[in-house]
Amino acid sequence: MTKIDPETRIPDPIELDRLEEARLRAAAGLVPARAIGGEYAGFDQVGIPDRPPQTDREREVYSLEEGEMLVNMGPQHPSTHGVMRLVVKVRGEIVVDVDPVLGYLHRGIEKLCENATYTTVLTYVDPMDYLATMHNEHAPAIAFEKLYGIEPPKRAEYIRALVVELNRIFSHGLMMGFLALDMGGITPILYAFINRDEIVDLLSSISGQRMLFNFFRVGGVNFDTNDEFLSRLGTWRGNVLKNIEMNERMITDNEIFRARTMNMGTLTGRDAIALGVTGPNLRASGVPFDVRKAHPYSIYNELDFDVITHESGDSYARYLQRIAEIKQSIHLIDQIIDKMPHGPVQAQVPGIIRPRPGRAYAAIESPRGLYSVYSISDGGPTPYRFRMRDPSFISLQAIPKLMPGRLVADTMAVMASFDPVMGGVDK
Amino acid sequence: MAHLRRPRPATHALGRRRTLSTPVAAGALVRSLTERLGSDLGNLWTDEDTVEFTVDGARNVEVLTTLRDDPDLEFFMLADAAAVDYGTDAHFEVVYHLFSWKHPAWLRVRARVDRANPRVPTVTGLWEGAMFHEREMFDMMGIIFDGNRDLRRIYMSPDYRSFPQRRDFVLPDDAADSPAAGVNPLERPETWDLTRFNEAPAVTFPPSSERDDAPAEGGEGGEGGETLVDKSRPR
Amino acid sequence: MAIDRPTTNLPAPIPPNRNAPIIIPDSAGDDDLLRQFDMEEHPQGGFHGLLEVIPTKADYILDLIRANSLWPLLSGLSCCAIEMISTATSVNDIDRFGMFPFRASPRQADVLIVAGTLTTKMAGPLVRLWEQMPEPKWCVAMGTCTTSGGRFKRSYSVVQGVDRVMPVDVYVPGCPPRPEGLIHGMMKLHELVKERRGQWRTYVDRGPQRTRWEGDVR
Repeated sequence: MTKIDPETRIPDPIELDRLEEARLRAAAGLVPARAIGGEYAGFDQVGIPDRPPQTDREREVYSLEEGEMLVNMGPQHPSTHGVMRLVVKVRGEIVVDVDPVLGYLHRGIEKLCENATYTTVLTYVDPMDYLATMHNEHAPAIAFEKLYGIEPPKRAEYIRALVVELNRIFSHGLMMGFLALDMGGITPILYAFINRDEIVDLLSSISGQRMLFNFFRVGGVNFDTNDEFLSRLGTWRGNVLKNIEMNERMITDNEIFRARTMNMGTLTGRDAIALGVTGPNLRASGVPFDVRKAHPYSIYNELDFDVITHESGDSYARYLQRIAEIKQSIHLIDQIIDKMPHGPVQAQVPGIIRPRPGRAYAAIESPRGLYSVYSISDGGPTPYRFRMRDPSFISLQAIPKLMPGRLVADTMAVMASFDPVMGGVDK
Repeated sequence: MAHLRRPRPATHALGRRRTLSTPVAAGALVRSLTERLGSDLGNLWTDEDTVEFTVDGARNVEVLTTLRDDPDLEFFMLADAAAVDYGTDAHFEVVYHLFSWKHPAWLRVRARVDRANPRVPTVTGLWEGAMFHEREMFDMMGIIFDGNRDLRRIYMSPDYRSFPQRRDFVLPDDAADSPAAGVNPLERPETWDLTRFNEAPAVTFPPSSERDDAPAEGGEGGEGGETLVDKSRPR
Repeated sequence: MAIDRPTTNLPAPIPPNRNAPIIIPDSAGDDDLLRQFDMEEHPQGGFHGLLEVIPTKADYILDLIRANSLWPLLSGLSCCAIEMISTATSVNDIDRFGMFPFRASPRQADVLIVAGTLTTKMAGPLVRLWEQMPEPKWCVAMGTCTTSGGRFKRSYSVVQGVDRVMPVDVYVPGCPPRPEGLIHGMMKLHELVKERRGQWRTYVDRGPQRTRWEGDVR
């Protein structure tokens, strides 16, 4: 190689630009830009925090050994669970530790609900778990009915169960689509969204909204079924089994999908209970806990369905669990349509209800697990304390336990199999 | 037993009378609780599907360990851990909801916490899944959990200085009253560029003589036609 | 493998001085005409880059090309993101308008559709994304949360409208807006792109545009 004398070499124009920029900044009294990352490196939410670690766990995660590196899967990333940040400590390609950073979608819904009347609260909780809106409204409706001491009419209960099961079907279908999308398969998500659009048009004909249906009221539901709803329901029911089978056929036996989900993220039943994981994730680990059977609410004691479990507890089992639950939901919808009684759909309740002072706890089975509401009333028009327990929030604690030892690319796949929705995680 | 019954409103006004969906064998559960916990139990109260009692904050780990491990009780699952603020003069409460296969009622344990020194032992030793619950309670209420290895803020930024869900944290009544009001260009007329509206509109209608809806006006001349043609860009 | 120079530890990081005045040079200061008519701070005064060339026929075609293949950045924050994805999928298809590739990297994206509630914690990363997008870029505020804070108007952690942190070109109301509504917003954006109209751009320090040698008087 030719020797280049550092003193007399012809300077690189880009280097000259940088030198001049440094000179200008120094002349202006600005600090020189940091060596790593230029002027964006001062943004301390991106990398290692500038401040000393506050807790033992933080010290454990953010201290690096030989060969380890922190990779930030930042709040904006292509996997569409929403805004979550995972600080992943890797050694090469293998994950050593994971620290989830949440709160990028924290909207203060619990605090806002303390200043809202009980009916308004039912609209505030809609955008929490935005893929399972009916479930978000179901739990507060039950809790407020307990506080107020009424029960909704039978037809209202049946309509509630119907829309809740429809919501569960498209939510599980979307999970299947997002799981494939996070692994790079773009087709299943398109099919899942066709499925979702069909059901959502169905629900919009009964509630008026495509997504954040403001459908539940304290004492019943807002609207009764109409001709368009029933006609769309019939058409949908005729096609749904074929569509679900078409959607799952693309991925269930796919070699790449199986290789990336079998034996990945295996969660034992004991660990799942200790971590607070509930719902399809828990049932895929072998524990037959379903709130609809354990503490039946609404009309679920009158309906006949099974609690399905899988033993393996890996991502593939969580995926199969959701397919099985879609089929159970379709079976439930058939029974609801058969048994639906006539009658009013909303109890006679004043516009602003003022329940007696007391406490109520209502837990339901949402597509992600046990969703519960604990509400305290002080006799006034607004709740004194309104607390929601979201299942995705608690299920995220499984990620730091499952990921160490796995490859980085599996992180998103395992996370997608838990199906978190950031609106619920961050409230 | 009247003091244990949930207060109900007058029957004539509202809906159907509520019927029990799960008959509660509350007797067995209440008996087991009083036998095992004895002095820790305070204010036992039962509803048709819930049994609740109050404990002192410092005893919460012992009580929950008994509830989880005792073969008669076996409340193996922590469903929810919530914090309640009863006012600036009163105390905090950490409320645990537990589930058991043996008892068809939810169990609610209300642990009373002092407001001046809000410290409670952590239950992450019993259930690891309580970690996020406790982080959230610390972030929103400021309750400190002794023994928690990772007690830092989870929703707000790490340098946030207040505890939003306390009763003395008040939301602004109106965005206009807040100090950040009027920052938005839509809220400041001096930033509006009204010269943009002197350009011709993008959508135009054909001249009135060609329109179907308006009646044809005779004697208008050609003046009604030119202003409707858009010459602002090449077509 | 031969390593020519030994690895050294990187220098200690220096925290940025957030109290220092930020001096941002811009080319509007050289223009006498602007100064004469007091238009230096006017949004439409000054030459800031390619967009301000007097449009000709060729530029019209360039605008058409830009409008018909606007590539959005995947920045779905919340519920509106699901409706945005629903707009992108088969039933309401914005691939007809050239917007199918939702780019994951801001360097390759033209339009930032802020879909979902912007919280104070997320405002920082979102502004970083906006700054990383190269010109020409547009911003669409989708949904009421990004227009004005929406249903979270009194919340302590929601930014009351994304136009408090970045310039917005199109506001699409709705909670969430129907896919047809978002497509209508995209049509409005096409009009803006073709007419070279948009919001005031934040001044950005582009640095030296060319190498300036010692003694250069150009």
